[in-house]
Amino acid sequence: MNMITRNIQKHAASLLKAETVDVFIGFKAGSFPMSAAPVIIKNPEQAQALIWDSNCRLNLANYLTNRTDKIGIVAKGCDSRSIVNHIIENKITRDQLHIIGVPCSGMVDKTKIASEFTDEITELREQEDSLVIKAGSETRILAKGEFLRSNCLSCTHRNPVLYDQLAADLVTEPVIENQFADVDKIESLSRDEKWLYFDDLIQNCIRCYACRNSCPLCFCPTCFVDESNPQWVGKGIDSTDVRTFHFLRAYHCAGRCTDCGACVEACPMDINVRDFTRKLNKDVLDMYGWEAGLDIKKRPPLDTFNPNDPDEYIK
Amino acid sequence: MAEKQIKIVAFLCNWCSYGAADLAGVSRMQYSTDIRVIRVPCSGRIDAKLILSAFREGADGVWVSGCHPGECHYLEGNYYARRKFILMGNLMEHMGIDKDRLHFSWISSAEATKFAKVAQEVADTIVPMGPSDRFVKRAV
Amino acid sequence: MEIIKIKKTAWPGGIDKARETYHLFGPVKDKSCHIFRPLENNIYPDMEYTSSTLSPKSVLFPQTQKILETSVDESEKNHHILTPVKQDNTPKAVIGIRPCDAKAMQLVKLNFDTKDYRDPYWCDAYESSTFIGLAANTPSIFDFSTSAGSGPFEEDGLDVLLVDCKDHYLAKVITEKGKSFLNTTGFNESTDQNKADQIIKDLKTCAEGIINSSIRTENLKEKTVLDLYNAPFWEDLAFSCISCGTCAYVCPTCWCFDIQDETRGSLVTRIRNWDTCMPPLFTQHASGHNPRGEKTQRVRQRFMHKLKYFEDKYDQGIMCIGCGRCVEKCPVNIDIRDICNLMNAYEPEKESAVSKLREK
Repeated sequence: MNMITRNIQKHAASLLKAETVDVFIGFKAGSFPMSAAPVIIKNPEQAQALIWDSNCRLNLANYLTNRTDKIGIVAKGCDSRSIVNHIIENKITRDQLHIIGVPCSGMVDKTKIASEFTDEITELREQEDSLVIKAGSETRILAKGEFLRSNCLSCTHRNPVLYDQLAADLVTEPVIENQFADVDKIESLSRDEKWLYFDDLIQNCIRCYACRNSCPLCFCPTCFVDESNPQWVGKGIDSTDVRTFHFLRAYHCAGRCTDCGACVEACPMDINVRDFTRKLNKDVLDMYGWEAGLDIKKRPPLDTFNPNDPDEYIK
Repeated sequence: MAEKQIKIVAFLCNWCSYGAADLAGVSRMQYSTDIRVIRVPCSGRIDAKLILSAFREGADGVWVSGCHPGECHYLEGNYYARRKFILMGNLMEHMGIDKDRLHFSWISSAEATKFAKVAQEVADTIVPMGPSDRFVKRAV
Repeated sequence: MEIIKIKKTAWPGGIDKARETYHLFGPVKDKSCHIFRPLENNIYPDMEYTSSTLSPKSVLFPQTQKILETSVDESEKNHHILTPVKQDNTPKAVIGIRPCDAKAMQLVKLNFDTKDYRDPYWCDAYESSTFIGLAANTPSIFDFSTSAGSGPFEEDGLDVLLVDCKDHYLAKVITEKGKSFLNTTGFNESTDQNKADQIIKDLKTCAEGIINSSIRTENLKEKTVLDLYNAPFWEDLAFSCISCGTCAYVCPTCWCFDIQDETRGSLVTRIRNWDTCMPPLFTQHASGHNPRGEKTQRVRQRFMHKLKYFEDKYDQGIMCIGCGRCVEKCPVNIDIRDICNLMNAYEPEKESAVSKLREK
């Protein structure tokens, strides 16, 4: 058992025992390799089920929305920023939360790992910075650092920004030369190529809304896709409808997205859902110097304004 | 076969830009007939949803106009709008839709001349681009 | 049942011949997924695939399907009269479908083809389709079909069962439809029937032995609906569910749909789209009331339907064929196997046994 898991179990058990929290939200081991399952526990004895590893790719802040009880929760860097966002947007109060912060060394990309093997992976064990993987009759060791998710590779906020206790020592934040290389790549395409790029991206979308529902930002009582008076978007797989859904959802997350990658993790069709939100993340950083969820006292960029905001583009 | 008529949807804020349009009308000012006006209470009310919806329905261009910064009837609506619009425009370009199909302006209710001028400018930019064929919802 | 031999070198040629008579469908690799798609010229089914991300149900039940249309333009003949949209029911052949997915079609048929009502869209598509199955020599790690009423070599629902024997396939001809398909391909190489039969039996035993995942269902029928419905484990189980539609959309036995009218200009089209019972909108009434407004109610409903109501109604086992797609693709790792075992073992008087299972 790794040290972080041990600490999370210890903290969760003592929080529940002391009744500092009513419930504790964390991850338990998944039922197949490279998976982890969000879980809610209510008794100290259940804390033994909690784990932390490189498969904790979902954002647990998603489960906080509108809860009224006292909650203990595990949060890595990006998750903690989503929690800050939630507090700013009045979906939870700071007083309700007891956050076990986890300085994160990155989550692994399960699709990338799977593509290294011809057979299905039957076991994945983590040993320090290595992944010991069994697939078919093969056992191979991969370096974890080479199989991190793309959002983890460009992450500059590994340490939780808000926490009550830490499950491990803080890590050094990396300096990334070009955080938005992926956006630049798309921007360098011609307009027609961009259109085709996104056509290709949405081709397999089945409108399951796993991306939307796993996102802590998406908490509208009635999402625009479910509105019926008027109905804004069709419900099928027509490409204009699929595009509308993804782009409008990305736009509604502008200035709030912490690039946690839960959307990509949730998508059953392996669509890189982040391609929709990344451009907006870059724009708000370039134009307003803003990264979501870093300061509990500041309003997100679309919720505020500066009388001197640029408007040369406006006639 | 008749050529498809270009339609540009203009979201005009009730207090300033719509007033300007009205004034342009009574002053008999001439400008492109391709503009179709939708009155909204404030430019700050404009969401990307409305702009995308216009394109989905077949609009060949969208023009949003509001009060000048500092003169918003609701005090701050257009300040928020200013931030929203630039992000929206960039996102559309990123998606592969020509940014020139989307226009923004600040026109106060006295500026009828400006209204007619901008209306013509917008039409003159969009008409040569032809009908919009991207992001149009067609029959299934 | 006749078994013929198909050399893999002869396979593309036979498939091309079949194209002249049948509209072919099969698993195609698309980035990291396999999806059942129409096979246009020069595209062949990927017979090396393990499992497809989406089930082949889309062949009979497309995600978005036009069913009726009309015009509101009063100058048109038949304006305002919804007329059926002609569906393409030219003969189809679904090649490479797994036995469990074919069994799933049989379960779905129980719903779409009843004595009271026959869904013309699904049934016509089903009746015009021939299913050329591919036995799973190496079942996926998610496969638990042997304890869910199917198996890697089962024949229920198939017209032909292909068994991969490295440089050739052995093709077991199960129905007349299957025979007709093989006739168009020209595949007819005879082979020693007893030997072939034994080879298939051995591969079947081996494949079934590979499956190490199973569910227990023997007690489900005798449990009362209300006991299971009121069980205390639903709430914590439902916690992690995010109410998306992944499980319903990847599931080969899920059949719910939503009908929408879309109007463009004067053309009105009535379409049906896949629907899922997991989001709250599914049971939202126009009055504002929602009988399954709570997530726990919806999660409970899904598994009660799959594992209890269906069994009670049709007496044909559970509404699950063990393909494991929902297990693999659920964003939060809700595992139907765990839930089935929980339901199967649940005894209201013996709470402690349940707590032990829950702790797992």
